[in-house]
Amino acid sequence: MPPGVSKRIKTLSVSRPIIYGNTAKKFGEVRPPNAPAEHTHLWTIFVRGPQNEDISYIIKKVVFKLHDTYPNATRTIEAPPFELTETGWGEFEINIKIHFVDEANEKMVSFYHHLRLHPYYNIKWEPQKPNDEISSIFYDELVFNEPNEEFFKILMSRPGSLLPSNKTETCVFSKQLEQEEIDRINMGIDKVDEEIKELKEKIAKQLGN
Amino acid sequence: MSSSDIFDVLNIQQRSKSPGSTGSPTPTGSGNGNRGRPPVIGMKRELYSLLGENQPPVVIEPSSKFKEKLSAITKPSAWTNAPFRANSKLVLHHWVKGTKESVGTEPQESQYAKLNVHLTIPKFNKEEYETFMAKTNEQDVADQGVTSATSTESSSEPWSFDEVEYLFNLCRRYDMKWFVIHDRYSFDKPRSLEDLKEKFYQVCRKYFSTNSPNDPIMENLNYPREKEIERKKYLQRLLARSAAEIAEEEALIIESRKFEMAAKKTLNERESLLRLLDSPNSDQSVSQYMTSQGISQLYGSLLSDKSKKRKHNSNVPENPWMKQQQQFAQQRQQLQQLQDKRQDGQEVGSPRKTKKQKQEIQTAMKRKAESVYAEHLLKNFSPEERDALGVVTHGDKLPPGVYLRSSKISTFKPALQNKVVAILQELNLPIRPAMPTTKVIDRHEELLKRITTLVDLKKHLDKLEAEKAIAK
Repeated sequence: MPPGVSKRIKTLSVSRPIIYGNTAKKFGEVRPPNAPAEHTHLWTIFVRGPQNEDISYIIKKVVFKLHDTYPNATRTIEAPPFELTETGWGEFEINIKIHFVDEANEKMVSFYHHLRLHPYYNIKWEPQKPNDEISSIFYDELVFNEPNEEFFKILMSRPGSLLPSNKTETCVFSKQLEQEEIDRINMGIDKVDEEIKELKEKIAKQLGN
Repeated sequence: MSSSDIFDVLNIQQRSKSPGSTGSPTPTGSGNGNRGRPPVIGMKRELYSLLGENQPPVVIEPSSKFKEKLSAITKPSAWTNAPFRANSKLVLHHWVKGTKESVGTEPQESQYAKLNVHLTIPKFNKEEYETFMAKTNEQDVADQGVTSATSTESSSEPWSFDEVEYLFNLCRRYDMKWFVIHDRYSFDKPRSLEDLKEKFYQVCRKYFSTNSPNDPIMENLNYPREKEIERKKYLQRLLARSAAEIAEEEALIIESRKFEMAAKKTLNERESLLRLLDSPNSDQSVSQYMTSQGISQLYGSLLSDKSKKRKHNSNVPENPWMKQQQQFAQQRQQLQQLQDKRQDGQEVGSPRKTKKQKQEIQTAMKRKAESVYAEHLLKNFSPEERDALGVVTHGDKLPPGVYLRSSKISTFKPALQNKVVAILQELNLPIRPAMPTTKVIDRHEELLKRITTLVDLKKHLDKLEAEKAIAK
């Protein structure tokens, strides 16, 4: 990458939504041919755009650090789709490191995802059926604060921050969900404000006495 | 074992063992040096053999078996067997110092006669008795002591004048020795000792109140019959205790003493402990910490107080001289600063303040220029487009770089964080919003801010209430 030109644009930030998480399935009749005997689940961990759009224009590679008991625990995915499929029997924390394209001249971002294999809120206890897919998916936004001009141009080339307006089967994270969340929080704020008012009155009473 | 054996054991050369006399070291041996001493035999010989060479230089022997003869020079004094009057009729003899001539033949009064004193017990005849008895009966109706006496009297057999006289005669004869009087008493009816005493004192009281009402003896003439009977009962019961009962009582007393001692000891220990730990409540009574609950409470308060108090205590006592010196140094510094300022003020015009201000203005201007540039870059985009691109201009100074938006959600100190989380759960809101977009995070931050205010207010209210409770 050509150095020198990477001057940062101050007081400006660009955000891009990403989705990360995992899906998991119990083995059915057919076991993957090379899975160890004690493994029970097939799982996939991924990092992608909200609508499965291409994010390789900003992400160079994604590194998944698995549990130490896996052979070659550090797995690097250098091309989209940034996902990894493995078999296993237990849940653990997976360290995800996102490395950005060279033009960005940014440090990688590191975070953790708890690999989920089992349904937690199974009120009626039933044995997990094969092919029932479990998923644990999170929405987040990558914020590039004060990007350099070159990377800024790349970011500006695509409207990456667009979200679908309504919830769909394939993509729950939408403007609708965002609005619902904002409404929920606003209600929470109202409740807290009420309580604050009550407390203030009580304190005034106490001080008055 | 003789001393020579000991010397042998300890391997000590005896001084006297000259080559000339190799025999036994005892004086009875044929040693030439012992010629002047008398031969010793028997037990003495054994003793000498034990003493070895360390014999006393002079042998002390009693020279005589008898007491020393008296060597009196003075003449023996004369004693006379003289008669004396033991009582009005009886004459006895005793030895007195002095010759027959000096003592005389007439029987003398005994020198102990003066110690033979009799109490003066009032005497009266029948008329006198009846008058003062009747008179005082009227007078002393109001008197509590007498009325009670009369009431008790009425319960027992009535007294005739003869019996009273008989009682007084007995009293006179036996010198008020009540047990003897009671023993000898044999009038018509049997009387108890208390009856006799009561009657006697009652009559005496009445007699004196008519004849000499100001006599100080009047005060001593009360006889509380009931109390006296009770006292005797108690005494009897006390004396009638069996050995087992006495032993039990003593054991109980010892036990109670032990308890008292233990309580005193623990009280002292706790007091000293409090003083040692410099508790904030040490001036209060210890009794509130006597229960286990109190002790645990004390322990808690001490733990919480420790950090502050200890630090304070560990301070070395302040040296007043050092303190003064420090003060002087400070004053000097202040003076110097003042002078510097004056000079600066004349020459440059207080640059200290303006420097900072200038810097601020500069950075602000720079920021403005930068934001203008950023705005310039975005001027071609409509707000909707900006939203779609996720591009924002902000005036804030944030560290450059990339981060996940969810990682910028505010966190608090552990104690506060726990409360905030609890309140979020009450509101059915997630700790981490499901969609951390700019708008959502903005609202979420606002919510968190409100929640911290709420927690703060709650704390204040609790404090106020606690204070009020204490004040009550």
